[in-house]
Amino acid sequence: MKIKLIVSIFLSTLIFISCDDYSDLTPPVKDQMSGSANFSRYVALGNSLTAGYQSGTLYQSAQVYSYANLIAKQVSTSFEMPLISDPGLGGRMEIQSIDPFEIYTNPSSGVPININYIAPYNNLGVPGALTYDILFAKSSITCASYVLSSTPTPNPYFDVILRNSFLNLGTPLEQGLAQAPTFITLWIGNNDVLGYATSGGTSPAAPTPTANFQQLYGGIAQGLSQYVAQSHAGVVVANIPNVSAIPFFTTVGLQIAMNSGIPWSALPLGFVYQKAGESGMGSGSASQQDLLTGKTLVTLLGITYAPLLGQPTGKFYRDKHFPALPAGIDTTKPFGFHPQNPFPNAYVLDPDEITIANNAVTAFNSIIAGLATNFGFGLVDINSRFNQFRAADFGSGTVIDGITFRTFYVQGGLFSLDGVHPTNQGQAILANEFIKAINTKFGASIPFIDVSSIPGSLILHKMVQYKNGYPIIPPGVFDHLLF
Amino acid sequence: MKSKLILLIVSSLLISANIYAGGFQLNEHGAKAMALGGAFTAVANDPSAIYWNGAGLSQLSGTNIMIGTSLISPQSTFRGVAPDITKYRAKNLIFFPTHFFASHAFNKQWSIGLGFTTPFGLGTEWDNNWVGKYLAIKTTLMTFIVTPVVTFTPVKSLSLSVGFVYSFANVEITRKSQITNAELPYPFLAQDVFADLKGDDSFAYGFNAGIMVKPTDYLSIGASYHSEVKYDFKGTATTTGPAQVASELPNGDITAELTTPQNIAVGVAVDVTKQLKVSADYQFIGWKSYNTLDVNFTDPKFDDLKSPRNYKDSYIIRLGAGYQFNEQVTFMGGIYFDKNPVSTAYLNPTLPETDRIGLSFGLEGKIFDNLTVQGSYLFIRGKQITVNDSQEIYSEPSSTFNGTYNSTANILSLGFVLSL
Repeated sequence: MKIKLIVSIFLSTLIFISCDDYSDLTPPVKDQMSGSANFSRYVALGNSLTAGYQSGTLYQSAQVYSYANLIAKQVSTSFEMPLISDPGLGGRMEIQSIDPFEIYTNPSSGVPININYIAPYNNLGVPGALTYDILFAKSSITCASYVLSSTPTPNPYFDVILRNSFLNLGTPLEQGLAQAPTFITLWIGNNDVLGYATSGGTSPAAPTPTANFQQLYGGIAQGLSQYVAQSHAGVVVANIPNVSAIPFFTTVGLQIAMNSGIPWSALPLGFVYQKAGESGMGSGSASQQDLLTGKTLVTLLGITYAPLLGQPTGKFYRDKHFPALPAGIDTTKPFGFHPQNPFPNAYVLDPDEITIANNAVTAFNSIIAGLATNFGFGLVDINSRFNQFRAADFGSGTVIDGITFRTFYVQGGLFSLDGVHPTNQGQAILANEFIKAINTKFGASIPFIDVSSIPGSLILHKMVQYKNGYPIIPPGVFDHLLF
Repeated sequence: MKSKLILLIVSSLLISANIYAGGFQLNEHGAKAMALGGAFTAVANDPSAIYWNGAGLSQLSGTNIMIGTSLISPQSTFRGVAPDITKYRAKNLIFFPTHFFASHAFNKQWSIGLGFTTPFGLGTEWDNNWVGKYLAIKTTLMTFIVTPVVTFTPVKSLSLSVGFVYSFANVEITRKSQITNAELPYPFLAQDVFADLKGDDSFAYGFNAGIMVKPTDYLSIGASYHSEVKYDFKGTATTTGPAQVASELPNGDITAELTTPQNIAVGVAVDVTKQLKVSADYQFIGWKSYNTLDVNFTDPKFDDLKSPRNYKDSYIIRLGAGYQFNEQVTFMGGIYFDKNPVSTAYLNPTLPETDRIGLSFGLEGKIFDNLTVQGSYLFIRGKQITVNDSQEIYSEPSSTFNGTYNSTANILSLGFVLSL
């Protein structure tokens, strides 16, 4: 009897303690609700920044670190994306060598892997989208780059992401609202000035006019507001960072200024560039100091020609297949130092162009802030945050979760290899800015992302894997070889 | 140039090195002892006494041979990293530590014994790409001992033993590491490097001693001592990674020292009735020996490192009972509490340490007059442990590995004793 009792006590104890976990842990955001922010269906509208585009293309391992998906993860909500397998839709930039620093363009491409998802994507960020496109683009040939440009260029991302050939649900805004979202983030407008700036003020020849921007953004805000009135969804909008301060613009000019091989004192005009058009004498010039302080900016695309400074070369015109040299150009003159062989217009953002770009950003941001206030949207002040980073660049940098960030190219950690789009960690910092605004606006307590826990995203081009200085070649690999 | 990359890899190696920790003391040295929850120091009445308490050999006559094995199947989960609660499960591994003991009594005063067993060992394996991949992927440690023991019984109620311990051991640690160097001091690169560190020591030594006192027929008191064993591991580090950082990958010969802790066990066993024997043990484990670990690269190009582990001395309390059902069969049961030797700050997934409760039962049966079989089942439940002050960096430079660990283990033991 005693034995039976002991055995039964023993066995019941065993059963009691052997269940897998003692208790269930609660997630930080339960049922996708925090404060009055309801994330049960979250839609993100925007451009490449929202899509998670990095290093020149859109690919899965970067898309999953888009700020929109990072926010979705923090609130444990499901979030469908137009995933494209690595290395993306072509042309991904990778690091060939660290020292000397060398970039390689990956010639392979991946394929869309979530193309059959039966509803619109939660992430409706379309690389290349302008404000116009949120309201009007339905396909690669109804987007701004096709219908508004003097050189119509189809943007295939609209077909890949909107999939109207079978969804037939319309524009990004329409597809977003068709999902009956409970929360919407909108970050648009960057490309309305960025396209102007990255082309050195050439294509398009001006940012989207302020009046047009007011109308377009106002239209989007109106549409969102009507939806909010009947659905009580939450909306936050983000403003535009100072585009001319990204490494795409701030890297090459600085390098030219610091190049000890350039005899600055012997150059009466300094750095000479074409201020407008492609022909005639170069009428723009910048001193070493101007390049050093960013008064004149040379884009990352200009890096191809920067090493040729001072040489008698017409490489730019050969590369661009000019049938004949433009009038007034003499390629026997030192390139970039002589008015008759100026540095090309398309690679230089001159002081006037910088002013135009900056004014556009200021005007757009005041429109965004005004509409946000009018319609009761939360505002994510990306511009101020970015300016804080800029201000700390030449001091001790900005330390976040132990990592020192600067806005510098590659080593700064914020920007991917294309110098425009954020790295994974940069996206995490953006996500935290959104979360901060959401928490404030909606009395929510969504936890911030630990930026140190986000993996790096600058990709080393896979050459040969090495061990002890020798390439790794598994045994037997050569066995079938015929000589 | 001594690059930061090397520091990162080696420091992570040191972190991983707490594989040597408390839970990796193996106490599976005989099915009968396991059935009694390990409360065997004052019992020690089969050849596994050579490990538990050599003085117990005085209770055996003639020549006895014991061979046995255990099947150990641990399960561990980690939920995190806090505040996230994603659940990660370690791969289910199965281990078969085997033991062999032989004893011979020359007369009522002198006996000798020879044992082979595995006093420390562990294996954990997590997925290659899990969240803690920079802390641990695969970790294995095995130490083996061969121990000859001599037992002397000057008077009927007192026995003494002393033994020599020869030990050999091997260790392997694989894990990933983030890439940083002079140009990129923070982990901005997408790729990782993979490090495999292997080492062994073919000669380490220690000693043990035991005492057993029987003031009356129904009472037995025992104590045993196992010394520290100092291992000098020699081995190689093999690090593979992208070609762009090949020249910075730390490869080559490494050495590391490890001292397994001393153990002092004191036990008492009482025959409550003719059939029922109960026993209790208190075991002290000197984990303080593992307060730091040095790893040295033979190549002076790579930095050597010291890492604090700050283990604390620990203990196990054991209770066991055996009920002799008839001439042939004895039923046994036991329970023990095993105190966690490491603070949560240093807890890491190479070994999910925690306070543990063990529950066991088993039986001993005489098949023939000279052949006994022993079998036991032991279930170990680790107390759920939530870490919120972790010092373990799972992603450079500052992400600490906070989260919730759960662990259990199932252990089956089987052994045969042949009396010649």
